[in-house]
Amino acid sequence: MIALLVIGFVILAGWQIPYLVRKRWWRELIVFSALWSAGFILSVMLSMGITLPPITTIINKSITGLLGM
Amino acid sequence: MLLEKGRISNFQLLILIMGFVSGTFSLMTPGQDAGHDAWVAIVLGLMEGLCIAWIFTNLSRKFPDKTIIEINTLVYGRYLGKCISILFIWYLFHISAIVLSIFSTFLNVEIYHFTPKAVILLCMMLVCASTVNRGIEVLARLSLILVIISITLICLETLLLITHMDLKNLLPVMDIPVNKLLWVSHSVATNPFGEVVVFLMVFAFVDHPKKRFSTVALAMITAGSFLLIIIARNSMVLGQAALTSNFPTYLAVHMIDLGDILTRAEVVVAIDSIIMVLVKVSVLFYGTVMGVAQLFDLHSYRPLILPIGILMVIFAMTNFGNMIEMFAFVNKGHVLYAVPFQIGIPLITLIVARLRGLPPKWEVEN
Repeated sequence: MIALLVIGFVILAGWQIPYLVRKRWWRELIVFSALWSAGFILSVMLSMGITLPPITTIINKSITGLLGM
Repeated sequence: MLLEKGRISNFQLLILIMGFVSGTFSLMTPGQDAGHDAWVAIVLGLMEGLCIAWIFTNLSRKFPDKTIIEINTLVYGRYLGKCISILFIWYLFHISAIVLSIFSTFLNVEIYHFTPKAVILLCMMLVCASTVNRGIEVLARLSLILVIISITLICLETLLLITHMDLKNLLPVMDIPVNKLLWVSHSVATNPFGEVVVFLMVFAFVDHPKKRFSTVALAMITAGSFLLIIIARNSMVLGQAALTSNFPTYLAVHMIDLGDILTRAEVVVAIDSIIMVLVKVSVLFYGTVMGVAQLFDLHSYRPLILPIGILMVIFAMTNFGNMIEMFAFVNKGHVLYAVPFQIGIPLITLIVARLRGLPPKWEVEN
């Protein structure tokens, strides 16, 4: 599973990064790399069975708890 | 910098908004918590939704060729403007992930019992990414076809269910405490009508800014009428069962049985959900990538489509611990969570722009 993920992410980077470098779009490259890294790290964590915190449930509990609903 | 070269007409905007609003009620039926008084909640919710629309269309009319990200920078200055824009982009991203969560749960529970959610989400995300990559014009043209299909399916389902309807299931009227009715109607106003605020990322690419409110209002009223038909139909067919079901439309259409020839028609609801969620997620996705691109002054939003799409899928998979938490958020937390984004940001921005005399008169004249 992790190998598949790595292949997918490498293909994505190999497809986008040369295009951005050729165009000299450095800012796009930085934003793309940041988002790509976040996506890669979180995907690997998920595929390793690490449970990520359910953000919306946390938001819901905070709102309902704060207002005593 | 102009990131979008395409332009759409007011009619295309109208259809796009109709498709966007239908994206919600093709899956769930907002207002169902009010039981057989759901139709009253829808009417009240629609009226509140129109008030919300008045606020953000007024803001957009003041700055006709600017998205909310550009408006924020202009009104609040570079740093505060960007901070507020980040909040707005987060909202679009978050709502998109929530819609995908609900959609994948629906398909997982009702049809694809053994298919991993990740597969369903990735398939949907790839189609949406492809649509967004082609720009707003293609999205608008696509929505026209899909909305026509969706309306046809809704009319067909309703016609085939006529024999199962019992008018008594709508009685007694106003049998619900007023505070509960107001809560449910506010919930309808925030989801789906208030969510049209995402079009603050699209209005800049629409012709004839003066007709903006009338277009949005017409789209909301038309979509609201279809929602009203679906809610009344579900209540008449299912009675009290409509209250306990998570996906009442799916359950109601399951009742269709035309002389043992036409059965299991509920799959039509699934088709309707898939095509309308495609429109809704694509609009939210477009708003998110366009927002991020404008936030960082990029040349194009296209390189961001796939990485943001992947993050959306991850969020959609981990948004909720289980289905009960999902419905708890939709019925409780979201009703208040949405207010700062749907009413707060546009209203405060509109007031600050008025106070600061923005946009300058020479710019308006030009």
